[in-house]
Amino acid sequence: MRVQKTLIVALLVSTPGLFMMCNKPGEFAEENYDPRLSGGAATVFDATSKSFSHMIEGLKEYDGHIHELGDGQFEQTFVTAPAPVNSGLGSVFNNVSCISCHHNDGKGTPTAGAVNSSLLFRLSLDGHDDHGAPVAVPGYGLQLQDVAVFGKQPEARINISYTETEFSFPDGEKVNLRQPEYTLYNPYYPMPAAYYLSPRLAPPVFGLGLIEAIPESTILSYSDEKDADGDGISGKPNYVWNPYTQKTELGRFGLKANAPSLQIQVAGAYQQDMGVTSYVFPNESSAGQSQGDVLKDDPEIPDSIMNSVVFYVRTLAVPARRNVTDADVSMGEKIFTQINCSGCHQPTLYTGVNVNLPTLSHQRIHPYTDLLLHDMGDGLADNRQDFLADGKEWRTSTLWGIGLFQKTNGTPFYLHDGRARTLEEAILWHGGEAERSKQAFVQLSTTERKSLIRFLKSL
Amino acid sequence: MKKNLVYLGALIIILASCNKAETPSSENFDTLTSEVLSDFPAFIAIPQYGDLYTKASELETSVEQLIATPSDDKLSTARQAWRDMRSVWEKSEGYLFGPVEDNDYDPQMDTWPVDYVQMDSLLASSNPLEVSDIQALSTLSLRGFHPVEYVLWGKEGNRSAASLTDRQKKYIHSLSTDLKNICKSLSDSWNPAAGNFAQNLINAGKPGSVYATKLEAYLAITEAIIGICEEVGEGKMEEPFAALDSAIVESPFSGNSVTDFKNNIIGLQNVYFGKWTIDGRGLNEVVASRNMNLDNGMQQKIATAVSSFDAIKLPYEQAIFDQRTQIMNTQNALADLKDALENELKPFLIQNIRD
Repeated sequence: MRVQKTLIVALLVSTPGLFMMCNKPGEFAEENYDPRLSGGAATVFDATSKSFSHMIEGLKEYDGHIHELGDGQFEQTFVTAPAPVNSGLGSVFNNVSCISCHHNDGKGTPTAGAVNSSLLFRLSLDGHDDHGAPVAVPGYGLQLQDVAVFGKQPEARINISYTETEFSFPDGEKVNLRQPEYTLYNPYYPMPAAYYLSPRLAPPVFGLGLIEAIPESTILSYSDEKDADGDGISGKPNYVWNPYTQKTELGRFGLKANAPSLQIQVAGAYQQDMGVTSYVFPNESSAGQSQGDVLKDDPEIPDSIMNSVVFYVRTLAVPARRNVTDADVSMGEKIFTQINCSGCHQPTLYTGVNVNLPTLSHQRIHPYTDLLLHDMGDGLADNRQDFLADGKEWRTSTLWGIGLFQKTNGTPFYLHDGRARTLEEAILWHGGEAERSKQAFVQLSTTERKSLIRFLKSL
Repeated sequence: MKKNLVYLGALIIILASCNKAETPSSENFDTLTSEVLSDFPAFIAIPQYGDLYTKASELETSVEQLIATPSDDKLSTARQAWRDMRSVWEKSEGYLFGPVEDNDYDPQMDTWPVDYVQMDSLLASSNPLEVSDIQALSTLSLRGFHPVEYVLWGKEGNRSAASLTDRQKKYIHSLSTDLKNICKSLSDSWNPAAGNFAQNLINAGKPGSVYATKLEAYLAITEAIIGICEEVGEGKMEEPFAALDSAIVESPFSGNSVTDFKNNIIGLQNVYFGKWTIDGRGLNEVVASRNMNLDNGMQQKIATAVSSFDAIKLPYEQAIFDQRTQIMNTQNALADLKDALENELKPFLIQNIRD
């Protein structure tokens, strides 16, 4: 009897606990999570120049091989067809391998037309086609290829010049902001009188499997197109045409969220940036142009290589945060929320369930993005429409790994065109929906400002 | 219970005393870890990149002599000069961090594969071939080691001096000068009198260094040696091996690939011991000062990996068909080494280097 009573009491005491556990799996108080785990289980503890290049843990052996195959392919230099190895470069292109723009799987260098250049330019005419896509420029398509194989002519060359202006914080500290200007010269074919030009700097390629795994409903829940909550931030999803599935889908990747999937992003880079065709995009970027090749070698890369590179970027781990217990880093983190940087740069999201890749499945991650489009003001505007993104809108950039750009790249460059050389510059370029937060940043005390930067560098 | 407590007490005393006996004072350890970092540029990077520049100058000279009065003897001298320079370069790939990666010196010198179609049209054209013209070429697959290798050996490895055309001669002359110029910049980038990347290691943990802590600098070095171990075992060796494709072997014209691979791992070994031609203080001393067993294990695994290459007697493009067991033995040794670097050396450094 006594035993039974104890049992009943024990049951009574433990039952609510059991129910509570069942009720909200995975949601504990903030302090019960390790803040270093930016990618959840897909986090890697490395803060060196190789920190963006690690395979996620927990892959099956076979999947690991596919990742390694993709890793090798990511570094391959393409050469002019016909060739026994890596055949298919150009005839016009931007660079010769994935790695030459995505330096150490990270961000690139904002120059154009040189062997280490990572800046490319999207082109278009006014309006949009039946699927809402930008309208191609005759003779050029939607992207300018500013390099050509020997004997061919680059579509055009790009001159980049910067105008520097000085900005002073209230405490007297000065920052130089540089506004880029891009001029085309030596076009191989007459350019139309009016066209749109949008610079895009190669972004880092890690953590993309997590971004891919964020449920659409989560992204849409942040959308507030009419700014009903009156915080000055709207947030708009981009819906884009997927030429492979032949459907309109939510855009997630690319600086204007104009790519619906990693497959389209990777295949587009092969075709447009390197002039290499695949089963996804079997036509040369120069097809139909006077410099297009006449070889019957398309698709130039086997399907398995194309798929392995998609798998490679899907399974690159996110680097862990550093110095998370430092007082000024914690203070910076609070300020980040207080001045509403987090209004767009959402700190915490959950990925959906993916039974094939458990490490990416239902993870609590800290990408610092809502994956939505926001008006960033005139300073950053490219004035070029890309599906639903207008000329002032850009997709909120992820911030994870941003403190490691110096390590992975030597010289760090920030923003869509690499104009910012420091995080302060990058923040000061924010406008439009981010204007209020930017003004609040300017008004911070010196200590607060340094803390915020220290926080960003801990990411 | 009391007895247990006594045992426990004794155990703690024993463990504590063991600990003290093997561990140098933390002050000495801190000095040692700083010295190893300042020895890295002094005994490895600066002298080795300096040698690379010397070897590049020698290659240029031998090419000049070859094209002045071509003979098969001079051709083999030039080939040897290429191999000698290649050897220093492959060993320096044991630590691909710092300016060599930040400033893209690696792709400028060592892009692979050769772009035959472009090279043929370049050589068939009247495009000038001065050094500045070479530098203006749009792709790096027309510059660096491998186009020089292609011209010196020919596609089948049987080039004769008499068959070199004037434009081929001009082309490799400019390529060798271009290589020399790149090596000069790379060498200068570490030199205290010029780019002074050395100070980042010497001053690791102090303001002005890219390494906010000494540990960061150690991890940069460690990730670099892990990287080369992986690159050789799982990349350069695995890809042609798995695909059974001799076309994707790295240095096929000269048949130099196995030597290249081995030199990469000798480069790793040099980093561990802190030496190029003269022995400085290396990671081995840091490890041995606190964990002799780990140091022994690391040394043995490195030695096993390095010597395993000697069993691959055939040129790699043949060995992938006829010496698969030997290749797999080397790959296994490299996998063991990489595992030890990642799961023993790296945690050791994180645990012990606290500044």
